Amino acid sequence: MAPSLHFLLFSALKVVIVTVVLLTIVAYTVYVERKVCAFIQDRIGPNRTGPLGLLQPLADAVKAFLKEDFVPGHVRRAYFWLAPAIVMIPSLVTIAVIPFGSVLGREPMVLADLNIGVLFTFAVVSLGVYGIVLAGYAANSKYPFMGGIRSSAQVISYEVAMGLSVVPVFLLTGNLNLGALVEYQSGGLFGWMIFKQPLAFLIFVVAAFAETNRLPFDMPEAEQELAGGYNVEYGSIKFAMFFLAEYANMVAASAMIVTLFLGGWSLPFLGLNQPAATWFAGLIHIGVFLGKMFAVLLVFIWLRWMLPRFRYDQLMDLGWKRFVPLALANVALTAIVLWLQAP
Amino acid sequence: MAAREKLNLLKERFGNAIQRADIPAEDRLFVFVDPQSVREICRHVFRHLDARYVISIGADDRPHSGDFLVAHHFAFDEDHLLSSILTRIPADEPAFDSITDEVPAANWAEREIRDLYGLEPRGHRYLKRLVLPDGWPDGVHPLRKDVPFDHVPEGFDPDREFKFDEAPEGCTVVPFGPFHPTLDEPAHFRLYVEGEMVRGCEYRGFMVHRGIEKLAESVLTYNDIPMAAERICGICGCVHNVAYAQSVEGAAALRIPPRAEYIRTIMLELERLHSHLLWVGLACHIVGFDTMFMQAFRIREPVMWIAEKISGNRKTYALCVIGGVRWEITDDLRAELRQVLDQLEKEWRPVVAAVQKDRNLKARTRGVGVADRHLVKDAALLGPVARAAGVDIDARRDHPYAAYDRVEFDVITADGADVWSRVIVRALEVFESIRIIRQCLDRMEPGPLSLDIQDELPVGRMGMSSVEAPRGESHHFVITGENNRPRRWRVRAPTYQNLQGVPAMIKDQQLADMTISLGSIDPCFSCTDRMETIDIRSGAKRVWSQEELKQLARGTRA
Repeated sequence: MAPSLHFLLFSALKVVIVTVVLLTIVAYTVYVERKVCAFIQDRIGPNRTGPLGLLQPLADAVKAFLKEDFVPGHVRRAYFWLAPAIVMIPSLVTIAVIPFGSVLGREPMVLADLNIGVLFTFAVVSLGVYGIVLAGYAANSKYPFMGGIRSSAQVISYEVAMGLSVVPVFLLTGNLNLGALVEYQSGGLFGWMIFKQPLAFLIFVVAAFAETNRLPFDMPEAEQELAGGYNVEYGSIKFAMFFLAEYANMVAASAMIVTLFLGGWSLPFLGLNQPAATWFAGLIHIGVFLGKMFAVLLVFIWLRWMLPRFRYDQLMDLGWKRFVPLALANVALTAIVLWLQAP
Repeated sequence: MAAREKLNLLKERFGNAIQRADIPAEDRLFVFVDPQSVREICRHVFRHLDARYVISIGADDRPHSGDFLVAHHFAFDEDHLLSSILTRIPADEPAFDSITDEVPAANWAEREIRDLYGLEPRGHRYLKRLVLPDGWPDGVHPLRKDVPFDHVPEGFDPDREFKFDEAPEGCTVVPFGPFHPTLDEPAHFRLYVEGEMVRGCEYRGFMVHRGIEKLAESVLTYNDIPMAAERICGICGCVHNVAYAQSVEGAAALRIPPRAEYIRTIMLELERLHSHLLWVGLACHIVGFDTMFMQAFRIREPVMWIAEKISGNRKTYALCVIGGVRWEITDDLRAELRQVLDQLEKEWRPVVAAVQKDRNLKARTRGVGVADRHLVKDAALLGPVARAAGVDIDARRDHPYAAYDRVEFDVITADGADVWSRVIVRALEVFESIRIIRQCLDRMEPGPLSLDIQDELPVGRMGMSSVEAPRGESHHFVITGENNRPRRWRVRAPTYQNLQGVPAMIKDQQLADMTISLGSIDPCFSCTDRMETIDIRSGAKRVWSQEELKQLARGTRA
């Protein structure tokens, strides 16, 4: 088989598998969220569809598809259709550069091994806001519009803090490739960036909450203030797209956190910090990555139910007045330490 | 004696303008004054004697004296005195001097008198319709005695739209309600918003005004009305039930058996418990903290169960008849109630501790929805809203009724005047309610539950009663009448006054604070009835009327 054909075939295969797995994870994150939230609130959660309610995501999907696809009369139609499609794409594309395992056989477990992986991710993630802004604009009514405006302000602000927070990470590694970053961290538990750059980790995680519009930063939806915000005019599968995009964003953000700060697919014992030599070890690596990702997802879910929502101006204050200066200080500090250590 | 003392003060200053005075009990004062001087007298009472404004009430007394009545009620809280300043308005000149310039809190009450009695408040600066539906024709005033209670006037147009005021320049209008996820009842706020800042609003409520005062004085009888009264509110209904019974008992000078007083106290406090627990949950829901909402509901539920065991119902206890109560609290129920209280106290302590320490909650509620002492005085704000501003009023202590003069409790106050202080006041009042119920359970003696009333109640007497509802003082006024029913019954729920403070509370703050500010008065508004459809293909709009919607929903022609 010619190398180019081989590349094409295996890449296509990986894309299909990863997308299917990702969407399944997204669907079941919703399920886990409902179960965890029910546990925290002393309720039961979904338990009727299938054993332990495990078929609930399926039922939800079927319901969303079968509902009447309703378009209110006053909306800007083209944008109204476009928004839910756009909103889902960035989170799916982000996954492309994440190394979710070492190698399986001879195939590297990453869809696109980009040298500028991180820059690419940031570029793509910031596109996510277009879907929301467009939805707010397309709905052509006031609450959604305010949701859209809030969202753009919020995402742009936190993009800055987020971008600055990872600069020290790359000062340390000297490489923008995410695979190289995982290798850098595979030395031992304290090689993980979370220990080397705890401040960067903190800022990144909080910014990730803001970027994904999760409570306590769910200003654009804020049911109690904006009656649902940017998606208020949407129903059926279009609404489901927004809903799922939020979870897909969460998954993508978790994957990024794992890769950047938690050592990616590696574990510092049992020799799991080296690229896999066997198929079995390769599968283990994928399992490790998924395990870490689920742990981060659980934190996302857990926190949502433990905190009240910030107010819009408080959120902005936090972003610009706390995180941006902190992140800048962190960049300077790391640079100085590296300069002093330099031979 | 406070009543006589105040009367003498008024006589000294206004002399002949004081026409007549009744002091039926040492804590009640009714003064008839000259209509020309009412404005001056009210100003004196409100500003110089520092009385708290309660409500203004109209009445149609034409069948008996040929005049209309307008009464302004004031409370002297420190002197434990409720007073009423009445004027006779001649039927041929249906107008009275507005006191709103002197007492801003009278704004709504005077507009309501204008709507329902057709008495023009002279000098009122904002005479917009308040209570009557928008399609109601001018010149028909439903509370006049010559209008039948089921009268639908000619020219009534259920589809007429409300005319809003012009928005200030540079502001966008954001509609808030009648449907909104955090507004559980229909009311409409038209918010004027500049960016994310609220600059003002216009309010349109009374969408579910059901005219039960008219019903009461037309077809119900004394002992039917408590059951109608408690349907005024789905949360603090028992308050109205008791307040009505007490005002009639006051008018007829009836003294109910002590055991009935204790049982009324216990049920009122049970109601406060479940209402405050509900509210703390709702407040957390409004700031996006649903976990606390669910937990509050879980903790609250046993209170509902015990209420059901006592009265047969979770809500609408149907507790009072004139002269007593209907439900006994047996020894078994007493023991169980004690257990419920113990459990509640045990679970509520950690919640209050957690809430008090929650920094996010503080950040969201401190300095938000501020209603300071001056606003409390001018708009006559009540209950936790007043107490959170350091205004130490509580009808349970200031105008004791039922068994409140025989129990000890603290009136919780705070000094932040903001939403946070209201959260704390309500959270801590739960413990005081538990304390009160325990004392009642200890002290109640066996005895009859109600008086055996054989005679007809005296006619033409006036009575008033203030009951501290979870949301503030609920005030009822009754004029007894013929045919075993009152001539006039007026209910002033606490939200009636507290809502009038909301525009000042939300001005110049973030839109995001609107819901929690409104929520912080624990509003109790009482569904809108039209729907607009747009044919997407043709773009044709069509508004469906209430009648058509009913036909669609029920499949029958009305």
